[in-house]
Amino acid sequence: MADSTEITPRELFERLVTRGEAPPILDVRNEDEFAAWKIEGTRPLAYLNVPYFGFIDEPEQSTERVAQAGDTWIGVCAKGDSSAFVTEILREHGMRAVNLLGGMAAWGNLHVPVRVDDRRVDDTRGSELWQINRYGKGCLSYVILAGGQAIVVDASRHLDVYETFVRERGATLVQVLDTHVHADHLSGGADLARRAGAPFFVAAGEGVELRRDVRPLADGTELTLGARDGAAAVTVRVIATPGHTPGSTCYLVDGRWLLSGDTLFVSGIGRPDLGGQVEAWGGALFRTLHHGPLGRLPDDVVVLPAHFALPAELDRRGVVERRLGDIRVASPEMQLPTEAAFVEAMRRAVKAPPEVYGKIVAANLSPAEVPAEQASEWELGKNQCAASLPAGARG
Amino acid sequence: MEKTLDARGLKCPMPIAKAKKELESLGAEDVLKVLATDKGSVLDMQGWAKANKRINLIKQETETDESGREIYIHYLARLS
Repeated sequence: MADSTEITPRELFERLVTRGEAPPILDVRNEDEFAAWKIEGTRPLAYLNVPYFGFIDEPEQSTERVAQAGDTWIGVCAKGDSSAFVTEILREHGMRAVNLLGGMAAWGNLHVPVRVDDRRVDDTRGSELWQINRYGKGCLSYVILAGGQAIVVDASRHLDVYETFVRERGATLVQVLDTHVHADHLSGGADLARRAGAPFFVAAGEGVELRRDVRPLADGTELTLGARDGAAAVTVRVIATPGHTPGSTCYLVDGRWLLSGDTLFVSGIGRPDLGGQVEAWGGALFRTLHHGPLGRLPDDVVVLPAHFALPAELDRRGVVERRLGDIRVASPEMQLPTEAAFVEAMRRAVKAPPEVYGKIVAANLSPAEVPAEQASEWELGKNQCAASLPAGARG
Repeated sequence: MEKTLDARGLKCPMPIAKAKKELESLGAEDVLKVLATDKGSVLDMQGWAKANKRINLIKQETETDESGREIYIHYLARLS
């Protein structure tokens, strides 16, 4: 830790996730912002929400309110400035209060790489599969490495995360893939690919075929990585999985890891209502899940999704993954027996997406650049990409 | 009387901290117009006016300045 009055997002991640600690959180944003999105740990956290303007109006009373609740705090606000002001007041009153640097904005931008395939397979070929966890937003992207080459899947707009990671692993970026056109965050795929001189692929059917910098990808295509002496080190098979979006695609790595995008999550499925066509997309999603190539994949395939909803979905190593067979058994959405029943359940579960999702989709379909500040504002909050059946419909 | 507080370029908590100070020097009939560039000020002013019964948030507006920057304008008055 650089300074006992501050904590970086990465240090907070280590405490919450790696060490499983549960430090009390003092959130000084206004009530609505706090209710919409907050710091979460792998264990339940104690929160206190006292908006910072209370410390301007009535510093003594606000400080007393905090002191009554405890004497050790991590202070959080939108960008880290108001919480710096508040934690300083608390320290002057003898409390141990540290400020989260950069606030929720920085928290939502933290990306933590975690090795997926570590110690589980014969690694003599030197291939590696990494999950890049954007923990605050619940977004997951992937880096596949083999023979000095790298493929990045579902890159965020924080290109330096991927460029630095790939460079530090001594690899060259050769391909960039998106599983679909994202609605909750801006894709960095096209820019990452352009800067590396690599192609950027998104499935046909997503509407990106109008962009000259995106190449369409056909169902069944096999990409190879790190090929040497005529042998492919890693194969990535393209599986069309329409439903969450018409062109949604899963990527099957070496036949055993399924980068499932927003089609399958470890605790459920992707919602088919984001396009406002729940009947058509819902029907397609049912057929994708139960028929077609995804429906025929063996239970032992490990699903690696593009999102998680709850920190409990992270395993002890910090990886978000689950056997396909376990998802098939555990997900109530997967238990719906017929396409009609499935579509009806999805229709009843329709909820208005955040308003900004329309803007994000449009931006991801367009080559025009979104200014960083605008992008940061659009991306505030956790993803809302999973289908959630009404409580009564769950088993 | 309307007085303008230029809080453009200031990060929170400064727009509210300065607005509070200005309002203390104004009379009950006066209006304080606060110019801010921090978008967070929109919700924060609403939350502040809700929490502080002596503050009246009359209205809020958004304008774009000549450089394309969004300016958030808050009209405040003191409730006695």
